[in-house]
Amino acid sequence: MFVSRSMVSQVITIDKDASVFEAQEKMAANGIRHLPIVDADNRLIGIVTDRDIRSVMPYRLIKEKGIAEEREKVAHLKVEDIMTRNPKTISPMYTIQDALLMIQKEKVGAFPVVDDEGKLQGILSVRDLLRAFINVLGIGQPGTLVGIEVEEKIGQMKKIVDAITEENISFGSVLVARTWDEGKRAVFPYLLTNNVSKVKKKLSAMGYKLINPMDWYLDKLPKKP
Amino acid sequence: MKRTGYLHDNRYLLHDTGPYHPEMADRLIAVYNGIKDAGLLDQVTLIPAVRADIKWIKAVHDPNYIRRFEEICLSGNRTFDYPDNQMCVDTYETAFLAVGGILDVARRIMEGELDNAFCAVRPPGHHAERDQAMGFCYLNNVAIAARYLQMEHGIQRVGIIDSDVHHGNGTQHIFEKDPTVFYYSIHQHPSFAFPGTGREFEEGSGEGRGFTKNSPVLPGQGDDVYERLIQSDLLPAFERFKPEVIIVSTGFDGHRDDDMSDVTLSTEGYSWIMETIMKLGNRYAAGRVISVLEGGYCLERLGELAANHVRILLNG
Repeated sequence: MFVSRSMVSQVITIDKDASVFEAQEKMAANGIRHLPIVDADNRLIGIVTDRDIRSVMPYRLIKEKGIAEEREKVAHLKVEDIMTRNPKTISPMYTIQDALLMIQKEKVGAFPVVDDEGKLQGILSVRDLLRAFINVLGIGQPGTLVGIEVEEKIGQMKKIVDAITEENISFGSVLVARTWDEGKRAVFPYLLTNNVSKVKKKLSAMGYKLINPMDWYLDKLPKKP
Repeated sequence: MKRTGYLHDNRYLLHDTGPYHPEMADRLIAVYNGIKDAGLLDQVTLIPAVRADIKWIKAVHDPNYIRRFEEICLSGNRTFDYPDNQMCVDTYETAFLAVGGILDVARRIMEGELDNAFCAVRPPGHHAERDQAMGFCYLNNVAIAARYLQMEHGIQRVGIIDSDVHHGNGTQHIFEKDPTVFYYSIHQHPSFAFPGTGREFEEGSGEGRGFTKNSPVLPGQGDDVYERLIQSDLLPAFERFKPEVIIVSTGFDGHRDDDMSDVTLSTEGYSWIMETIMKLGNRYAAGRVISVLEGGYCLERLGELAANHVRILLNG
C-alpha cells in the first residue's frame, strides 16, 4: 500500500504572494486545511495551514469578517510571511504504514508528497489515511466482527483461520491486539457473513474463549506513551 | 377485536437454504405452531400467497438484478452474490410469492377487508439492496410494499419500523433520499453486528435528510434500553412525520435466547415494542399496521413470540 494510491493528486495550491485572506477563502471554498506553495516549476517551497492563518488573525476577524480596520492590520500579510518553509514531506513510494507512523511522530495533519526532483505530486492528509484504514478494516462491506482470546504462542492464528475457512466464510480483515491480558492476545476477524453463530460454537468447542463484545474496545488499548 | 390477517403459505417452505443455515424453513413451522397452540388460528384471517406482478418489484429493484436473480437461481447455483445467500431452484419463485402475498395483504387492508396483518414470509428482505442480494435477503419485501401503497393506493407517507436486531441496510438505502418514506431501525450496534451499517449519524440525505433514524443498541443491553430509545427516537419522529400506514420489519432475533445477536430482549420486551407500535398505528395510521417477518432464528422461542405478536395485532 503506497502513498501514491491514497493521496490526493489534484492538489489545490496557492501563490506565495497571495494574501492571508485569499488563503483563508481558498481553504473555506474547498473544505481543506492545508495549502502547499510551489514555484513556477511545481517545486514545493512551503505549506500554509488553517492554524497558521488563525494564529495571525485577531480573534474577532475569525468570527466576523466585516470589520474594516481589523482587516487592515493583517491585509499586508502574505502567504509567504506565515508559511512553513521546507515542511516535512513524504515520497509517493512511502507506504501507508510509514505515513501513519510519521503523522503520529510529527504531529501534523497532512504531508505534501514530493518526488525525487522536489516536485509536488500530491498531498496526503489524516483524512486520506482514515479512508485507507477503513478500506483495510474491511468495514465498507457487510460483515460481523468476532473477538477470540488466544494463548500467545505460534500457530494459533492458523487454527482459527482454518476453522473459519472450513465454514466457507471470507475474511474482511483480521486485527490482532497484542496488549491483552498477560500471555494472551486478542484476535478480531471481521467476517463477511451474517451467519456467525455456527462458527462461534465451533471455536468455543475448540477451546477458544470468545471475548465478550463489551470488553473489545478502548479499555484494552495501550496507554498513551 | 381487530380483523387481523395472517399470511402463511407452505410454498414459503420451498426456499431451501441447505444444511446448517439459520434462515431455514423450520422457522415458519415454529411460527405457525406457536400461533396455532395459542388458539389464535380461529381468530385470524388466514391469507394464502399470490405471485407478485414483476412491475412492483421493478418499482424498487434494478431490472438487471431481477434478471440475474432468476438466471442464477434457475441455473442451479446454490449461492447468490454472497455465500450467506444460500438458495435452491425454487428461491426465485418463493421470493415472488413473499412479495405477492404482502401486496395482497396490503390491498385487503386498504380496501377495508382487514385492519392489520402479520406476514410470515420467507425469504426475508430488509438487507436486499436495489441491485444486490445480502444477508439471506433477495427482494426487499417491505420496500416494495411501501412503493405499492404509494403508487396503487395513493398513500403519501409510509412509516417503516425495523425491529430486527440487524440493521436493514437495503431498506435504508432505497429510501434514504426520499422524504415520503420514514425508515426507523433499532438494532445491535453495527460495530458488533452484521451488516455494519445503521450508525446513529446516518440520517438520510438530500431531500430525505431527517427521514431516516437509527438507534444502535450495545451488546448486553435489552428491554430498558429499547424502551428508552424507542421513546426518545421513534415516538417524536413519527409525531412529526405522521405516517398513513406503518410497515414493520419484524425480527425476533434480538431475543436473549437467539444466538444471532448479543442483545438481551425478553419476550415481554418484544410485546412492549409491538404494543407501542400499535399505539402509533392507531394514533396516526388508522390502525393500518402491516408486520412482515425478517429474522428470528431461535426455534424454541419463535412460537411464543409470534403468538404474542399476533395477539397484540388482534387486540389492536
